Amino acid sequence: MKRWRLRGVHREWLVGYAFILPALGFTLIFDYYPILNGMKQSLYDWNGVNVDRFVGLQNFRQILTDPVFGHAMANVLFFLAANIVLMVPTLTACIILFRLRSQRAQYIYRIFFMIPLVVPWVVMLLVWEFMYDPQFGLFNHLLTDLHLSAYRQLWLASPSEVKWCLVGMGFPWISTTAALIYLGGLMSIDPAIWEAAALDGAGSWARALRIEWPLLRGQFKLNLVGVLSGTLTGYGVQLLVTDGGPGYSSTVPGLYMYQAAFGGTQGNYGYASAVGLLLFVVAILMTVAMMRYVRSEA
Amino acid sequence: MAKTDIGRGAIVRAKVRRMHASRREFAKHAILILVCLFIVLPILFMLSVSVKSLTQVLYQLLVVRGPFYLHNYQVAWQAVAPFIKNSLIMASGSAALAIMTASLAGYAFAKLRFPGRDMLFWVIFVKMLLPGVLNLIPSFVLAWHLGLLNTYWVVILFAVSAAQPFWVFVIRTFVRQIPHELFEAARMDGAAELQTFWLVVAPLLRPMLMLMGISVFIAVWNDYVWPLVTISSHSMLPIGVGLADLNAIDASYGSYGPLMAGYAISMVPLILIFIIGARQFVEGMSSGAVKL
Repeated sequence: MKRWRLRGVHREWLVGYAFILPALGFTLIFDYYPILNGMKQSLYDWNGVNVDRFVGLQNFRQILTDPVFGHAMANVLFFLAANIVLMVPTLTACIILFRLRSQRAQYIYRIFFMIPLVVPWVVMLLVWEFMYDPQFGLFNHLLTDLHLSAYRQLWLASPSEVKWCLVGMGFPWISTTAALIYLGGLMSIDPAIWEAAALDGAGSWARALRIEWPLLRGQFKLNLVGVLSGTLTGYGVQLLVTDGGPGYSSTVPGLYMYQAAFGGTQGNYGYASAVGLLLFVVAILMTVAMMRYVRSEA
Repeated sequence: MAKTDIGRGAIVRAKVRRMHASRREFAKHAILILVCLFIVLPILFMLSVSVKSLTQVLYQLLVVRGPFYLHNYQVAWQAVAPFIKNSLIMASGSAALAIMTASLAGYAFAKLRFPGRDMLFWVIFVKMLLPGVLNLIPSFVLAWHLGLLNTYWVVILFAVSAAQPFWVFVIRTFVRQIPHELFEAARMDGAAELQTFWLVVAPLLRPMLMLMGISVFIAVWNDYVWPLVTISSHSMLPIGVGLADLNAIDASYGSYGPLMAGYAISMVPLILIFIIGARQFVEGMSSGAVKL
């Protein structure tokens, strides 16, 4: 101990390593090791216990020729398009909120925008599932009460409607994290710009396009990266609400991966890892492309 | 004469402008109120159903009228209490451990000098840019081989790990902004590094650490896929998987009253946490942490 105190520089090294060791250890063991292992196992026929046989690229060949995977890819393109469009409500709401004159009103609306945060994710989805329920649900009840029984729907149970129903969940689509990022961006802007804009006398739409939108483009792209990568690799909603059904009408690649591993009884972990690796690579390429784009313009 | 005319014209124009402005202000409020209404509507619907009997669910779903079956909450509590307990342990355990590890590392990366520091920081930071999708299966097998399945640890350890990149980065950025003299003074006094950390850094970081704790807590409370895969014994299930299980049973025969009561109960811890940390959330997160 005394020796260390004498050699101050080395003591600092030691302390430094000791302080970062837990964080580094966690990241290496519980994040990097699984990622690397998944890359390796994507080339294997693997069930986690006794089967571990090198098969080269066979998993990938099989994935890319499986029509179910093709179906899942088509579905995820639909969800990608939808989720990009559904970024608009949060952006618009934040711009409107920020233009309010009363600070107090701004604060109150901001609290409301935080409300989705206190509803557990699973609860939000299950309540929507209940509202869609053909027999007991809110929407069909409402249609009956309005004497529109003819328009009652199967909602999530209908192959042609299920994707739209999933997209409709969460209406009015206010994302709390995105809202925090946009509002943070608006607040960090020099107030002189708003005064100039007010004097300019431009209409509200013109002002949104000419002033707020360019100022928020960086934040928008940041959120866009999250939405793209999250939608491409995500499958929680489908797993919880539809299990990809009816049939394969709402399945996505992430769910395809999940089911290869945990859906059946066989535990096809090598195959599932290969699906995971494919999604991983595509998501990274998309993120890198977006980041480039962010840097070049912001 | 002409002068007053001009004056009157200006007054009228100003009035018109003010009227336009207030009409615009009104339109903004109208839009935002509508948005907020639709945000809370599903929650209000859930609460209204949570006190209905089966008959009321079937025939009076959209009417809010007594008798109110508060008994539903008692039924729901018995089913949900064990899940809540499990999730409380998992979420607060993860939050505490994540705060300890990430703050120490963030501090070291910001203020201490040692070989390989920046490289090691990048190792942690880059993980933030990697999508989590590939992890699921190999992580499951790792947890399985480590004998962690069906324990609280399987959720805690992986949640702590997931929190590292972002929060180490945020804390490092934050500590860097603290003037160097503060640390030097403490060090001159002969305080050991750990003491410096507790006495100087931790108090300054408190709002940030609280925000971190809250967000890790909420993330674990919301976790679904990972515990679904790693925890199979019913008595160990966290709230998300537990509620989905209840839903699968109750919804099939329309027992929505107690089910919705269970959902409502599961919101309470998040509401409490939110009230405690509301200021950090509304102000803190939108000011400093996320900057481009």
